[in-house]
Amino acid sequence: MPDILPRRRTLLASAATLPLLLATAGCRSSDVFTGPDPLAGRPRLAPDVVTLVAVIAAEENLIGLYRTALASDSAATARARDLPALLAQHEQHLTRLRAQLIQPPGTATATASPRPSATASTAAPGRVTIAGLRAAERTSAAGLVRRLATVEPALAQLFASIAASDATHVAVLGG
Amino acid sequence: MAEITAVSALRSALAAEDAAIYGYGVAGAHLTGSRQVAAQQDWERHNKARDTLTAMIYALSAQPVSAQAFYSLPFPVHDGTSAMALAAYLEEGVTRAYLAIVAVSNQRLRDFGAVAMQGSAEAAAYWRGSTQAFPGLDP
Repeated sequence: MPDILPRRRTLLASAATLPLLLATAGCRSSDVFTGPDPLAGRPRLAPDVVTLVAVIAAEENLIGLYRTALASDSAATARARDLPALLAQHEQHLTRLRAQLIQPPGTATATASPRPSATASTAAPGRVTIAGLRAAERTSAAGLVRRLATVEPALAQLFASIAASDATHVAVLGG
Repeated sequence: MAEITAVSALRSALAAEDAAIYGYGVAGAHLTGSRQVAAQQDWERHNKARDTLTAMIYALSAQPVSAQAFYSLPFPVHDGTSAMALAAYLEEGVTRAYLAIVAVSNQRLRDFGAVAMQGSAEAAAYWRGSTQAFPGLDP
C-alpha cells in the first residue's frame, strides 16, 4: 500500500514531462504517431499529379470543342464524317489519363485547374470550325511534349503517345 | 548509366529505321502513282532519320548498329494492298522505337523521341487509312 503513491507520482511526472521532451526534440505531439499530422491540412500535390490534372483539363476542353463542332453547322463539312471517330479517340485519351490519377474523395478534378483553351480565341462560343479543331489539336500535341520534362517515364510515354495521336488528327483535319 | 540507356534506345530506333528503309524498298515496288510517290518520300525521311540517329549515337561516344543485308518480312508482299500494310507495319515499329526514347531521363532526347514519333505515327495512319488513340503503346 505505501508504494502506490510513489508510482502515481512517477506516472504524473512522466505525463507532465513528455510534452517538454518532445518540444526539446523539435517534435509536435502528432509526430509521435505514424501518419500525417491531422492539423497540417491537405498535403501538397506531387508535381506529376499537378501536371496530370492540367492535361486532363486540356483533354476535357478538346472534347468540348469536338462536341460543339459536331452540334453546329460546321459539322456539315466534307470532313464531318471523321469527327466522331476523332472524338472517340479523345475520349479514350481522357479515360486513360483519368486512370492514372487517384485523388482523395472530394477532390474536384475538373475544377482543379481549368485551363483556358489556346484555341478559344480562334472560335466563337457555340461555333467551332474544322480549322479551329486543327489548331486545337496542334496546340494539344505541342503542350503535351512541353510537359514531358516534369513527369515520370511511363507518364511521359503516355503523353507522347497522345501527342502523336493528336498529330495524326491534324492530318485528318486537313493540316 | 543514363547514357547507356539513351544509347540503347537510340540504337533500337536506328535498327527500326534500317528495317523501314529496307521494307519501303520492297513496298515501293508494288505501289503506283501517288502512293509510290508517298513511299519514296517516306523512304527518304527514314534515310535522313537514320543519319540523324547515327550522328547522335556517335555523339554519345558509342557505335551505331549496322543495318542487316536482309530483313524477313512479317507477311508476304505481292500487291498494293499488302505493300501498304507493310508500310503501316514498318511505321508502327519505328513509332514504338521512338516512344522508348521518351522514357530516358535526358530531356532533349525525350523531346526528340516524342517529335520523331509524330512523323511515323502520321505515316502509319496514312498507310493504314485510320488513326489510333495510342500510337506506339499497346492498345
